[in-house]
Amino acid sequence: MQTKYKVGLLRGNLLLAALLLATLALATTALTEALLLWLAATWLAITALLLAFNHRRPATVPWQLLPGLLLAALLWLEPGQHITWLWAWAVLVMLPQPRWLLLLEALLAVTTWWPLRDLLGLEQWALTGLLLAALMLLGLSRALDLRALRQQTLQRARLVPGLPLWPGTRLSRDLAVERARSHRQGVHAELLLLHTPRHRCWTLAHRLCRLTHRFEPCYRLDATTLAVILTSRGRREAEARRQALWHHLEIRGPGRATALPDLVSLDNERQALARQAAGLQTSGEAVDA
Amino acid sequence: MPERRIRFSRGFAAWYAGGALLLLGMALWLYLMGDYSRIPLPAALFLLMLVATLLSATREEPSRLAAYLALICGYLLIAVELPLQSGLPALWVGLPPVLTLLLLPLGPAMLLNLALTPVWLSLLGNGELDRPMLLSYLTLVIVAALVPWEQVRQHALLRATDPRDPECPAVERDTLHERLLSEAERASLLEQPLAVLLVHLPQLEMAGEQFGAQARQALLNGFCQAVDRCCREHDILGREGPGDFWLVLPDTTESGALLVQQRLDQVVAQTTLVETGQMQVRRRLCRPRLGESWQRFEQRLQAVSQSLADG
Repeated sequence: MQTKYKVGLLRGNLLLAALLLATLALATTALTEALLLWLAATWLAITALLLAFNHRRPATVPWQLLPGLLLAALLWLEPGQHITWLWAWAVLVMLPQPRWLLLLEALLAVTTWWPLRDLLGLEQWALTGLLLAALMLLGLSRALDLRALRQQTLQRARLVPGLPLWPGTRLSRDLAVERARSHRQGVHAELLLLHTPRHRCWTLAHRLCRLTHRFEPCYRLDATTLAVILTSRGRREAEARRQALWHHLEIRGPGRATALPDLVSLDNERQALARQAAGLQTSGEAVDA
Repeated sequence: MPERRIRFSRGFAAWYAGGALLLLGMALWLYLMGDYSRIPLPAALFLLMLVATLLSATREEPSRLAAYLALICGYLLIAVELPLQSGLPALWVGLPPVLTLLLLPLGPAMLLNLALTPVWLSLLGNGELDRPMLLSYLTLVIVAALVPWEQVRQHALLRATDPRDPECPAVERDTLHERLLSEAERASLLEQPLAVLLVHLPQLEMAGEQFGAQARQALLNGFCQAVDRCCREHDILGREGPGDFWLVLPDTTESGALLVQQRLDQVVAQTTLVETGQMQVRRRLCRPRLGESWQRFEQRLQAVSQSLADG
């Protein structure tokens, strides 16, 4: 996998930033600000250590919220000393982030700029506001470019560079293609859905990709569900492979296999998986029981 | 994709135009206030910003020159006006590095910011070294650079994970080889035939050189559409080189592949583009030989592809 992007340099920059923030924290006298700066420094240092090159994102609260809140807190507490940071709002809106967060950041920027009126005097205060608004617009226009590219690409991009692990949005189309193909070839294809614990999802996804054949694509449907389309020569071989896979993956949650010709819809299968008890079931057996 | 670029560039053009208007407003304000000696700077910078606006409005790509012009305007204005303002130097010292980061790509922006450190500090600190200000300036420069870094990371990540070629709907090279390998594995495991149709577009280079990027794009689009019309959904069209395409045909026998080739010839013969005329392709069919290893087959494909390109 060739990338021009240099992880080492980014890691260095993160560590240097953490170091400088720590120095700044040592130089301040007020306790709360020092705590805030230490928090920021620690966060950056931890980020530097955990840096990974994949589309892994936290599920509920976006991390972009943290720098925004830190910046706002710093400017509210001691505007006189940290006023240089006011311009950082313009850079912060460049981050790829959800729309509501952009609005929140704009709001926070206004609330940190508004109290500066006494400090700056009316004329400079107005000028600062105008310049900040202009710079934030510029930052936003740079963010929009990446945002459009992301929206187009994330639907079809693999989740980890070099690994055949795909987003769930691709699965329904691939299922239709694979169903027609396996029918014409006369081979047995089945959809295997696996419920995994949240914290083990990524490791299991990696293992799943390693254990299956190269031509069998794996999907991550959500934070707890993985899917794979297994192709074998016949029903008996499929059964053996499924059992071996289940054994090697060591999943204790529910798992569900459905032969592609019997598949009604993906949503049905996911609902059935959610209702199902732990252990591997095939949909044919479930009907018999 | 081109549409997106144009919209992006228009956003910048509007921003430059806004800056130009602000400078004009400033010049008028100074005129009304009777401060005639300060008028030439904003007036001259207004003209510069106008040039930047026109540059970025007429180009599809965001213009680097326009960004530098805007940056020069910003720098000059800050350098000349700031010492006059009696306000907080700590506030204004943060403005130039942020402007640089917003207008330039990460590398040049960082170089410029670090190189200009003494300039801004001496301008605002009246020639004396202000230690806290130096620290906060450097911290701002380093910490703010993390945001463009994240953008670079996201770009690289998208490029590394996107299976599609950036210019056309074909699959990009690394993914093509991976898919070919996986299809070869599937074919040998399930005992199915496999064929690969190698195609070279001889007009592509010439189209780019003589008629520009748009003609080149039209040729690429026309070819991909032609292939799309004569192959099945699970056939894989991949781009091996700029003008070299591999059409991987899983579970296809020799006669089936010949049929696809014939259909492609027909569709291509019917395709005529405005600038380049009738589309031409050179193509050859390749199938794995009995007992041939996958690496040998791939090498053979590359050699044949090269010989097609050489004519």
